[in-house]
Amino acid sequence: MLRAARLAGPAHCIAGVLALAASLAMPAPCAEVPVDFAVDLYPRLEAKNCRACHSTSGVASGTRLQFPELGAPPGVIQAFGLGLKRLVNQEEISQSALLLKPTNRIPHTGGPLIAADSEDERLLRGWVEYLASLNLNDQSIQTAPRENRSEPIRRLTHLQYDNTLLDLLGDGSGPSRSLPEEDYVNGYTNQASAQVITPALAELYGQIAERLGRNAFRFGDEHGLLPCEPDGPTDRDCAQSFVGEFGAKAFRRPLTEAEREAHVDLLLQWAGHGESFLSGASTVIEAMLQSPHFLFLVPSASDSHVKHFEIASRLAYALWNAPPDRVLLATAAAGELGARSSVEAHAKRMLASDRARETFDHFLAEWMRFDRLRNSVKDRNRFRDFGPEVAESMTEETRRLFRHLVWGDLDFREFYTADYTFVDDFLTNVYGMPDPSAPFGKTAYPVESTRSGILGHGTFLAQTGKPIHTSPTERGLFVREHFLCQTIPPPPPGVDTSLPPLTLGGRPMTVRETMEELHASEPVCASCHKLVDPIGYGFEHFDTVGAYRDSEPVRIEPTPQQEREGAKATDHLLPIDSTGFIAGIEDSEFQTPQDVGRILAQSPICQKCVVRQLFRYLFGRSETARDALVIERAYNRFVQSGFVFRELVLGLVVTEEFLATDWSD
Amino acid sequence: MPRRALPRRAFLKGLAASGTAVRVGLPPLACMFNSSGTAYAARSGPGSDGKPETRFVLWFNGNGIPERYWIPRDQGPDYSLTPCLSPLARLQNDVQILSGLDNPNGQTSGVGNGHQRSMSALVSGSKYTGMGAGSASIDQVIAGKIGTESRFPSLQIGVCRESFGSSMQRNMSWSAKNRALAPELVPQKLFDRLFGRLDEGWVRRKRSVLDVVRGQAQSLSSRLGQEDSRRVDEYLTSIFDMERAIAEFPEEYAGQVDEPEAGGDPRDYPRIAKLQSDLLVHAFASGQTRVASYMLTKCQSLARFPWLGLSFARHHEYSHLGGSHRQRQQEVMRDICRWHVEEFAYLVARLKSVPEGSGTLLDSSALLFVHEHAEANSHKNSGGAVILAGRAGRLNPGHHTRVTGTFGDLYRTVANEVGAPLDHFPTSYGTVPAATA
Repeated sequence: MLRAARLAGPAHCIAGVLALAASLAMPAPCAEVPVDFAVDLYPRLEAKNCRACHSTSGVASGTRLQFPELGAPPGVIQAFGLGLKRLVNQEEISQSALLLKPTNRIPHTGGPLIAADSEDERLLRGWVEYLASLNLNDQSIQTAPRENRSEPIRRLTHLQYDNTLLDLLGDGSGPSRSLPEEDYVNGYTNQASAQVITPALAELYGQIAERLGRNAFRFGDEHGLLPCEPDGPTDRDCAQSFVGEFGAKAFRRPLTEAEREAHVDLLLQWAGHGESFLSGASTVIEAMLQSPHFLFLVPSASDSHVKHFEIASRLAYALWNAPPDRVLLATAAAGELGARSSVEAHAKRMLASDRARETFDHFLAEWMRFDRLRNSVKDRNRFRDFGPEVAESMTEETRRLFRHLVWGDLDFREFYTADYTFVDDFLTNVYGMPDPSAPFGKTAYPVESTRSGILGHGTFLAQTGKPIHTSPTERGLFVREHFLCQTIPPPPPGVDTSLPPLTLGGRPMTVRETMEELHASEPVCASCHKLVDPIGYGFEHFDTVGAYRDSEPVRIEPTPQQEREGAKATDHLLPIDSTGFIAGIEDSEFQTPQDVGRILAQSPICQKCVVRQLFRYLFGRSETARDALVIERAYNRFVQSGFVFRELVLGLVVTEEFLATDWSD
Repeated sequence: MPRRALPRRAFLKGLAASGTAVRVGLPPLACMFNSSGTAYAARSGPGSDGKPETRFVLWFNGNGIPERYWIPRDQGPDYSLTPCLSPLARLQNDVQILSGLDNPNGQTSGVGNGHQRSMSALVSGSKYTGMGAGSASIDQVIAGKIGTESRFPSLQIGVCRESFGSSMQRNMSWSAKNRALAPELVPQKLFDRLFGRLDEGWVRRKRSVLDVVRGQAQSLSSRLGQEDSRRVDEYLTSIFDMERAIAEFPEEYAGQVDEPEAGGDPRDYPRIAKLQSDLLVHAFASGQTRVASYMLTKCQSLARFPWLGLSFARHHEYSHLGGSHRQRQQEVMRDICRWHVEEFAYLVARLKSVPEGSGTLLDSSALLFVHEHAEANSHKNSGGAVILAGRAGRLNPGHHTRVTGTFGDLYRTVANEVGAPLDHFPTSYGTVPAATA
């Protein structure tokens, strides 16, 4: 667009810039544009892969520079180019961060990406000079206009499906066990984008519906599903009231006239065949349990009365992973879920229930990937204490800490800094701690311990370890991805990523020494590894199952040649260096895991990451630039409450965006 | 589907008594042949020229291979089988080994780890989206061409369960971008889908139930926005598929196939792999489908292999075995990959054992054995090696050839031979002439 403007003259230029920047403090002086940002400069920045770090999920997510998504439309790219004005020093152009950082004239974590005095730098300088000449209102550049975009339709997750059938038919058998497992996408198994009903899944839904329909009346109306005593198999009135009443529970809203008719006809048809009202009613249940209105959370037209029922369902499935209860449905029926105050009151009531505990336990289990811990394998000869029971105890330890903070309305940052924990005999055995007074009771760490909140739990330490050795890389990656919401590119294809024998330097070496030695000679690997490994080094005093060790045991096996000559394996105990830093966080050099905990707890990147993780779980999708406002508001509520998790939940759920509604108050 | 009518006879005839290792036989069933002695699948009638139906299987093992123990050193018809390929000894004239294939979109930078990127590009030719495959996988593209007349347009079959859990790692079939088709891992359930008996009363009720459900899905879809209605339409398509599956139940054949015994160790993968292969052969023989994917181990698999004496770590860890165990990495991967080939060879041999027309089921089939990486440890995406079994169309088994080209090129070549010519497939720029006569 700017190129067009340059050719077409000043009038278009102003219009173009105005449209892009949403609103300007005053009309921009249409200086000659020396560089066409989107055409000349942006592709060069792309080639340098600045986005790998400078994105909302990159290592530099805490800096002021965030690139647009890959394949962003030209308008977004131009707006981004203008937004770079924030990094321009108006008084002293050559002192602009936009020039100094990428050339590494002031230290840049990513190193020198743009060579001094190159063509790249010449173009960049041209753009910086142009930006300095513009008089843009900074804020107007940042805020994109709010779009009206509804949330994607969502299918009941397996957990929600089971809870719904329990409420509806008293079936507590967990029928979803026969469905294919749900896959992780964006770190969670409930993401809308992955919720396909394949032919195979549809068949299984059909089988379950058939079985539950049949069982519902196996011993007559044992569940009290019939609101009336049928007067023979073709009692239309009774059919009407059964369909209306059961349907309102199954669809979580009153049925339309057409829906009611279709199901009444079905009932009477099959009641006639089986000469039994109940076999007709079974068939209705079978049909309703396969209806899209049952299987999906269906959006309604915003002005309709049904909207209140939709809000009730959204609330209930978010906070309980279960259908709305009687109270909530009655409130919806009364049309009283149209105001923030009423919704918030209900949300608070619901958060006090055990069902909310189960929901956020589920969130925790996925955020902390308990499944990976349970599936871990450790060398049985070296780690005899580790097994499925211990892994289970580790998840319980983490769950107890989480519940303690969340439901006690404590400062959630203690998740990273707690100097106490919740252990049983299995864990004290692995961790080397005195036994607790009661299993999983709150226990202070011994004074000399450096364990710190989740960072001292086996949940973190053991799931990131290999069968024998620790993996500082995996531990660093876990911190990046789960606690900072940042991703690191994987090694390029063709690179041998196995840990070499621990004798690289011609002597027995620790895992840390080996990796440092290796990367010193491989700058390509080092450029990414330095973003993760130094975090992981902080936990080297904890072995691959999470037990404390003073020094690192290293066993050197002889080569086949040496073995033939009679050589035996040798064992060595090597001193551990657990100092490190978190690239991208200022002043983050640390000595112990406790330091790491403090750094994380105090970092807004980490605090905001809790918000983003919860957003992904509750909204069922990954956050985009359009969600910045919702996340910012929820984050502010979280901060202002003193990091009370419950307030964060309310800050995300009790919003017009989540409930797809417009408040009347 | 109802199972009440099914007698639980031993599926594994003659083996229950000894209680030893499971070898599932495929009994030569009379009902598989029509009066002229051809398998059920070879349908005749208007539009049929009497030729057997062609079939396509995309077969997958996770993590990659140890190239030096897998790829034959010499080329041509008399190549020597490598340790990993040794289970193919009696099938060497029924398979061809093609090496040197590239997976260009697996090497690009972007979201996801090396396995996810590679997997998306391997099955679909398109880049990983961060959520799933970038476009439909080749088996689904082929099913869209030759599967539409079958009772099941395609089947997704799996064996091992263990993985890191993401969608891209757990699925190999994708109906479209980000739309995974989960494999069926339980033989009993696969049997139910294929052969669970449907009585007449059941069918009538099921149809009237689905009528009501379909009506609701249609009216819902029409009032939703584009993206949402696509979701509901997917369900609608599944309902149509279900209705067809009910209508085209192969009554005559079904009564002859016994249900796999319930119970047994759910992680006894060598046994499960063979049961799944048997059911797939039955599905082909009875003309219920022409396209399948078969996922033996997952992408970036974490399976354990106690029957190989490997219980110290998991599949993916073995592929990167380091430190003091580093020397063993290649040998361990050799044993794992030989098992993969063994299970593939079992399926090929079963297809070869079923007569059809003047030949066997294998003669009109194409089975393509792939993995997300070439050399596993280095996440290599170039120089990939595959096994292509069968003689569908002009396929020309019985040799090892080093080729130049992409997986996309090979897919288009094979698709053409199974009667699904494709004008385009992502990353395809030509064909692989060596695969055909």
